[in-house]
Amino acid sequence: MAFNRPLLRTSYAEDAAILPTAFQKGAVGIALLLLSAMALDVPIVSAIPKFLLGNTWLSPFNNMLIFCVAALGINILVGVTGQVSLGHSFFMGVGAYAAVLLGGDGSGGLACVPFHAQLGLLERTTRCGLALPIWIWLPAAGLAAAAVGILVSPVAVRVRGLYLAIVTVGLVFIGQHIGVMLPEFAGDAESGRRWPPLEFRLWRRNDGNEDNPLINFSEDGTWFGFLELSDSQKSFFFLLGVVLFATVLAKNLMRSRTGRALQAIRDRDVAAEVMGVPEREYKRLGFAISSAYAGVGGALFAVNLSRVGPPEWSLLLAVDFIAILLIGGAGTIAGTLMGTFFVELLPDFVERLTESQSEAAEGSGVGGAIARFLLTDGSRNDFGPIATSAQAFGWPLPVPLWNFVIYGVLIVVFLIAEPLGLFGIWLRIRNYWKGWPFSY
Amino acid sequence: MTVVETATSTADSRGGHPTVASRAKEWAVKAPDQLAMRGKDFGIWHEFTWEETWDMVADVAHGLMALGVDVGDRVSVHSEDRAEWVIMDLATVAVRGINVGLYPTNPHAEVEYTLNDCGAKIHYAEDQEQIDKVLDQPRDAFPTVEKIIYSEPRGVRGGYTDDRLLYWDDFVAMGKEHRAANPGALDARMAAAEADDVMTLVYTSGTTGPPKGAMLTNANAEFAIDVIIHAEGRTPDGKPPSHKDQALTYLPLCHVAERVFSTWSLVGAGVVLNYAESPEAVFANLREIQPTLFFAVPRIWEKLHAGIVIRGADASRSKKLILSQAMKAADRIGKARAANGGKWTPGTKAVYLFFNFLVFRAMKERIGMRRVRYAGTGAAPIAPEVIEFFMGIGLDIYELYGMTENSAIATANFQGRVKVGTVGEPYPQVGKDGLRIDPTTGEIQCNHAGVFKGYWGKPEKTAETFTEDGWLMTGDVGEWVDDTHIRIVDRIKHIIITAGGKNISPSEIENTLKVSPFINEAMIIGDRRKYLTALIGIELDTVGNWALKKNLSYTTYRDLTEKPEVLALIQKEVDRTNEKFARVEGIKKFSLLPKELDHEDGEMTATMKLKRSAMEDLFGDLVESMY
Repeated sequence: MAFNRPLLRTSYAEDAAILPTAFQKGAVGIALLLLSAMALDVPIVSAIPKFLLGNTWLSPFNNMLIFCVAALGINILVGVTGQVSLGHSFFMGVGAYAAVLLGGDGSGGLACVPFHAQLGLLERTTRCGLALPIWIWLPAAGLAAAAVGILVSPVAVRVRGLYLAIVTVGLVFIGQHIGVMLPEFAGDAESGRRWPPLEFRLWRRNDGNEDNPLINFSEDGTWFGFLELSDSQKSFFFLLGVVLFATVLAKNLMRSRTGRALQAIRDRDVAAEVMGVPEREYKRLGFAISSAYAGVGGALFAVNLSRVGPPEWSLLLAVDFIAILLIGGAGTIAGTLMGTFFVELLPDFVERLTESQSEAAEGSGVGGAIARFLLTDGSRNDFGPIATSAQAFGWPLPVPLWNFVIYGVLIVVFLIAEPLGLFGIWLRIRNYWKGWPFSY
Repeated sequence: MTVVETATSTADSRGGHPTVASRAKEWAVKAPDQLAMRGKDFGIWHEFTWEETWDMVADVAHGLMALGVDVGDRVSVHSEDRAEWVIMDLATVAVRGINVGLYPTNPHAEVEYTLNDCGAKIHYAEDQEQIDKVLDQPRDAFPTVEKIIYSEPRGVRGGYTDDRLLYWDDFVAMGKEHRAANPGALDARMAAAEADDVMTLVYTSGTTGPPKGAMLTNANAEFAIDVIIHAEGRTPDGKPPSHKDQALTYLPLCHVAERVFSTWSLVGAGVVLNYAESPEAVFANLREIQPTLFFAVPRIWEKLHAGIVIRGADASRSKKLILSQAMKAADRIGKARAANGGKWTPGTKAVYLFFNFLVFRAMKERIGMRRVRYAGTGAAPIAPEVIEFFMGIGLDIYELYGMTENSAIATANFQGRVKVGTVGEPYPQVGKDGLRIDPTTGEIQCNHAGVFKGYWGKPEKTAETFTEDGWLMTGDVGEWVDDTHIRIVDRIKHIIITAGGKNISPSEIENTLKVSPFINEAMIIGDRRKYLTALIGIELDTVGNWALKKNLSYTTYRDLTEKPEVLALIQKEVDRTNEKFARVEGIKKFSLLPKELDHEDGEMTATMKLKRSAMEDLFGDLVESMY
């Protein structure tokens, strides 16, 4: 009956629906279909990401999907609960190491060499794990991180704002230090240890035996008997599923009593407490949930890279997430996803741009002239801002450094001009049409 | 949803004249799962099927019988529009009682007057506010009232000890008990219903003197359902009102117009009723419900029109550009259609389709009129400009004419035969045999099955309303237009005769003034005087907004009315109006009213009609200062 009357709500379920209108349902459905079609290399549609990100676009894209999971977590803590944290990379690390201890290779159990006895015996130390399947280690990674989150929360809920940020930065350094101190668990500080491959089994991997997993995401193969897929295509679908699950979970949290309590604390913790929201408990819960997301994200991140050294779980990684929130729009799921998309894929896009510029530099005409002006090989009479040779230090900057500059500028611009981030821009566009033909 | 044919007005098989209650029961038998009404509670529209609705009506009817309501006893309802209102109404008719509605804005004195005038036995008062209007008086001030039923326990339960109070849920439980003990009692009562039973007292708003309770009978209601709701060709495209239609119930249900368009449409055609949360929430509710049938008084149309104009003026530059073109187009389309009997011409249709896609569609969605297929206006005169504007954006408003005393049955505009500025032609069932204009006084007179039985307890007043040959005198002066349509000149009592001997109809001038978004209320004065003057009430929202933009600071309504800039603004609007009328009809001077007019202060009736004599007393100084 409510058809064509989108504002007519006859039940609370309808009122609180994640996608309240048929239009929104359709739009999300079509977006998912399009994305899948792109990943499946369907002609025409797949040309778009290839043009923007290059032919191997799926690999940065998969990485981006993993970041989405972790970013949803930081959004719950920073965006929804309002607790500024720079320790997200620490919790990602906790999740990653929980995953590798449970799912990593080991000869029938933990086989770690005691501390100090292991120097020079890295091969043995990396065979330290229970070789359990993904359905155990992935949730366990989240649970372990959540547990650590709860463990540190008594300290964290006592401080606010800047102090909390500094406390959480402390976590990152403690984590890095422990990682380096325990190479028998974490592997070599430079290259790290090997994480289990992305595959689905019912039970443990048998060492030595070449048994095939039920679904292997990390090798090329055929699905359903006819679908020829590469490893990154398979991973894409798995990760997309994880992101969807994580998004629905986060969305549901936001519209629940818990979510409203967290938002009340963000808006004014004292006022929330006066209204009967137990502040510390909910802050702790926020920490735990956020850490769980980080743990899962971290485990997938390490699995995707296959080897990660302890220093990787750094402050820089944590700052990445703050950039995601600020650019995307803190406190909103859609904003978080948009921010991750933008921040994580921008470097690849810039790189792709530089590549096409250097192609253009060979050509003539205006395009070629612009490209020649922008690019430089580092020789003296060439004042272009972008260095093509990786060895170039200082001005002109190589592409990866330009990415940092772009981040910095973007964060400043967004903070000043659009504090709600990309989501804010979307809001403005939406409100413009929502108000049509009036302005309010 | 089950598809059913429209209800027929055949008599109940077990005998008894059809009533609104027996019609409701028919629906519950024929289409138990069909949606009957929705009420909003804590942000959610709760839906009631016909089965549930009738079940409640039966429980309440048994409850009334348990409280000793006998044939002809009065049951009064004092509430905003809500499901309980309609249920009480139907249940009262089912037990052959007489429903009496009170305006929610009725102040203490009027409540006391009405309840005692009709001798109400059972009184339904929605909440603490309405209960207080009874309980604040000593018990013997209401000698007849035995029970006061209320729905909103807040502030009442636990605090009030008066033994007349009865909570709705307890009342329904009492009804259920009675129903279980006397299963056939209600059917027996309903089967005994007669055509001549008075089913409701509709109190006239009383612009002069105290309100009078007009007695409407079951036969009146049946006739109204037949004539108005099932009128051939009243609704566009020959599709009569049906269960597929949505209506928003928001005007006071005690008024005969809302009764026809809500309760009687519900039982007559199965139109789904949606009760507005409160008078303040009407515009928000409109957007949610997007009704298909909508009746409004001119004040609402004027507000909607003003809202569009004001919000349009506040729109961003690019929007304003498109909007101004669209409004110009709407103006042209509206004028062309008005000249063509409301019909489309290929040219207007083409322009309309273009701007409809671009602007009108969204505009109508914003005001909640996107799905309206039939809109009516009545109960007070409306300015033709307003109708033309809405016609221009594709929202066809049909002006209707009727009054309490003839069950709102007199004339209506029909699709394709609209004459803007007239109230339309007599309904086919009424024709010229049922409606005439007195050649000497110009008064419109009626004689048909919808004409009321008389005023409750006032035979002498009843006699005054009828001519010697038994025709109802409406008190409105009208004239035939092209011998088919009727144009209302004014109320007989309102016609102004200036000192120069010229007859002037003030409401035309007043309505033209009220087209301005800045003017809320206007009253023309000039009877036995040299020239015309006006008392004008400004619209606080729009004028306040305007002042804000002009950097004009003000504190109160009164302060705003005293600003020379505001006076200049209104002067412009008055000048614009004067251009449209002959010189003798021009407004020489005007004064701004220092306060917003209000029902409780006695300046207006509950239906927001000016009490002219009271106004002249209250603002006498202001009037005299202009002469």
